[in-house]
Amino acid sequence: MATQIIHKKSFIENPRSSCALGGALITIGMMPDVIPIVHASLGCAGNLSGAISMGGGSLGSGYCGGASIPTSGITETEIVFGGADRLREQISSTLELLDAKLFVVATGCMTEMIGDDVQGVVNEFDGEPVIAVSTPSFKGDSYTGYEIVLDGIFNRYLPKIPLKDEKLVNLFGLVPAYDPFFRGDLEELARLIERLGLRANTFFTPDQTFENILSAPAASLNIVFSHVWGVPFVERFESKHRTPYWTTDLPIGAEASDRFLIELGKLMGVSEALVQSVIESENNYYYRYFERAADMFSNAGYKFYAETVTNSNYAIPITSYIERELGWVAREAFVTDQALPAQQRLLRDAFNASGLSSELIFETDTTQIAKEITNRHPQSHGERFFAAEKPVFILGSALERETAVKRGAFHLTISYPAAGRLILNRGYAGYKGGLNLFEDILGGERVPNV
Amino acid sequence: MNYFDQKIQPVRDQRLTIIDSFCGGGCDLLDCARSGCALRQNRRFWQANACQMALTIMMASTVENAQIIMHGPIGCGQQMNGLVAQGNRGRVSRGLPMIAPRPWLSTNLKESDVIGGGEQKLREAIEFADREYRPEIIFVISTCAPNIIGDDVEEVVCRAQETTAATVVGLHCPGFKSRVVASAYDAFYHGLLRHLKFEPEPYKDFLPLDENNPEYERTMHRFQFEKRRTVNIFNATSIGAQDEQELTRLLEALGLKVRIFAEYSSLDKMRMISHAALNVSMCNVHDDYMLSFLKEKYGMPYVIAGMPLGVKATREWLLAIAKHFGLEEQANRLADAEEARVNEAIEPFLPKLRGKRVLLCGGIVRVGVEAVMLSELGMDVIGARLYHYDTGADPIIEDMADNLPDMQVAVSNQIFELVNQVNTYKPDLMVSHAGTHGWLARTGVPSVQLFNAMESRFAYNGLFTIISRMALALENPSYEKRLAAHTRLPYKESWYEKNPFSYLKS
Repeated sequence: MATQIIHKKSFIENPRSSCALGGALITIGMMPDVIPIVHASLGCAGNLSGAISMGGGSLGSGYCGGASIPTSGITETEIVFGGADRLREQISSTLELLDAKLFVVATGCMTEMIGDDVQGVVNEFDGEPVIAVSTPSFKGDSYTGYEIVLDGIFNRYLPKIPLKDEKLVNLFGLVPAYDPFFRGDLEELARLIERLGLRANTFFTPDQTFENILSAPAASLNIVFSHVWGVPFVERFESKHRTPYWTTDLPIGAEASDRFLIELGKLMGVSEALVQSVIESENNYYYRYFERAADMFSNAGYKFYAETVTNSNYAIPITSYIERELGWVAREAFVTDQALPAQQRLLRDAFNASGLSSELIFETDTTQIAKEITNRHPQSHGERFFAAEKPVFILGSALERETAVKRGAFHLTISYPAAGRLILNRGYAGYKGGLNLFEDILGGERVPNV
Repeated sequence: MNYFDQKIQPVRDQRLTIIDSFCGGGCDLLDCARSGCALRQNRRFWQANACQMALTIMMASTVENAQIIMHGPIGCGQQMNGLVAQGNRGRVSRGLPMIAPRPWLSTNLKESDVIGGGEQKLREAIEFADREYRPEIIFVISTCAPNIIGDDVEEVVCRAQETTAATVVGLHCPGFKSRVVASAYDAFYHGLLRHLKFEPEPYKDFLPLDENNPEYERTMHRFQFEKRRTVNIFNATSIGAQDEQELTRLLEALGLKVRIFAEYSSLDKMRMISHAALNVSMCNVHDDYMLSFLKEKYGMPYVIAGMPLGVKATREWLLAIAKHFGLEEQANRLADAEEARVNEAIEPFLPKLRGKRVLLCGGIVRVGVEAVMLSELGMDVIGARLYHYDTGADPIIEDMADNLPDMQVAVSNQIFELVNQVNTYKPDLMVSHAGTHGWLARTGVPSVQLFNAMESRFAYNGLFTIISRMALALENPSYEKRLAAHTRLPYKESWYEKNPFSYLKS
């Protein structure tokens, strides 16, 4: 065991998440006709948006993100005398100037520290579509920010709808930008759900309108593609809106998607015959493409030992894909979330239940991950026959590129920060996503690309 | 009062007269600054921007073998993930080797730290960084939270120095202290000037000789001669390798030796700063603080003579430096020869640009100089948007107000005002600061980067580059037109009927 001189967990190396405010901003900004109002210094919203955009695969500003985000921009004067007046003025001018169906005031650390009564100021705007959420950076990371915003909008703002729509489901758990393929994933999931004769609210894809948000309480099922993030939220959703939830893994590739459709069919009372016919046609589509690439895959001898470095949402799905679709040997699944012990236990239980053979390791720090990989996979020092586990393929964030280069491993950026990738409607979920991932592993996105 | 001895530097607002919300003419701006109305300028509506921390880490992350520790909650410094790649591009373009991205640390302040203080965490992080990564410099970036809870970051930094191999530098840049992002330059340089050495050290940088050594006189002579002919140029994130090369080329043509600081420099290189005859700035907003420190400490004279953009400003800049060395005649001859060649080179582009309505947006010095230059080339400069005003740029603004007395001058970094301006005044072309181009494209107007660290903007090569970029931007605007036609901006229709600056208040 390496000597651990310092309890280094008090600080963090290259954090793969920003603060609660960052997660809140991207979550709010991705929703149709919803605009954030940031109660913090002028820099917070700009800095966070820029960083998250880059980490999320050049996600961009969108409708009113980035440098367009309205903010109270408090200065030392407000730190000393309080920022309520500035916030009041900012909300009122924002309502005058900007066009949205809902405005969400989100706080930064400095305004929480000085104790501004943000809810009190928002209450003054009675009848206007403004709500407040408390998202100081010290309260948690971006995943927490995502949950806080969902709670604010769905569990506090939205009224109950007495009648359920038995065909409607809501999709939660994928965190905008921090799951860099969230839009492509959601679109594919919605497509599959629609094939079963159902409808899905994704909230974050371009086809969505504010109506989708308003209709959410009527859904018959909340599907959470995470064992960790969004689960307490859907529990509270259930107690307010009486919508049950189902936590499951994001299905990547044909094998996982088949299972997803069968289980969803059972939960929503879809006829088995319909489910089977959808699975059949999707598999036919999937394998007619897959088998063509198989020539290249097989001839090139693309069989690897795999390491994955992802957030907790992608750990099981990606490992499942490389183990069950590609037949690779998955060794370690590093999870980089700052998950609490209880959250870690949730993921560990799900991982153990999934029957996957790789080992789940919680580690936030890039250097530590690289060291772990080195410790667990010693390399030959000139021995003639040395059972080094080679070749290695690391599916991780852009931060793992260097780790891969040093080991002579292959690398593909699939997790946050996905710096250097441009991700639009590309997703890895479902059948089409499975093909996309196959394309990226084999094709131009992989490094080294020879 | 001496700022340099203080633990923490003042922000721009404390040191200079600052305006960040204004619209009028150039003379009105100067009147406002001088009459005290500047103090009351504000807005009823604000949009997000960067803060001084953002720019501070942009600069710090370029320094060789430097480790960054963000002292704050986990969100601060997220952009480091992108700055690593940017830094490597900058390195390669300067002929420096690509390096493995150096990890950075966040002290990840949580609720308990906000209550109990974050100093212990910072101490541990510094100690860890020193042992684990073995950097030459550790930059400790002090953000909003520790400054509100009262962590004495500078004290932790100084104490840590006693036990670390690396030089520990505190950079104090809490965003709430100032809306003026340019305060970052002072934060960066204040950290350097407090913790780094700017004098060559014996045996490290030179070999001291005994006076009786037969080589002594000759060596001393050479040492002093070199110093008398050496010019330090101070760069910034907006100044790229090609700009540095162009200015070096020109000054070397005058027989001077050029060193460039402080981005992409190192602990060793920076010790040579005082071993020069003259410090040269391209922009008072960047480095007036550092240059006045060097003057005070080492008696080094400095030149702040606008920015070398276009033939006129470049000649003035060159002459200001040449004057110090008695090389005016040579400088004029050099400028004559260069101007003749560049004028010939840009000539074919000018007919495409003449009469085109252009709006400029960005830093005060660059926009001020460029406005005059473009109007002299025959463009119709309809407005200048300055990101902030400070007193140090008065010569630039005076010159701009003299040359373009009727032009609208706004002090704004706000996108809603920019979008309204474009909509109201309908420029043919924008020349604009980084970060605005996506919004400009959504409004349907073609735009050129006011600066681009991967391209050339300064002096003669820079003039040719920006002129050819403008001509290219005006060609085929399909992308902007289609994007604008299919994009909805977040403003109500009523906004476009109002004056772009109707949210200013005083």
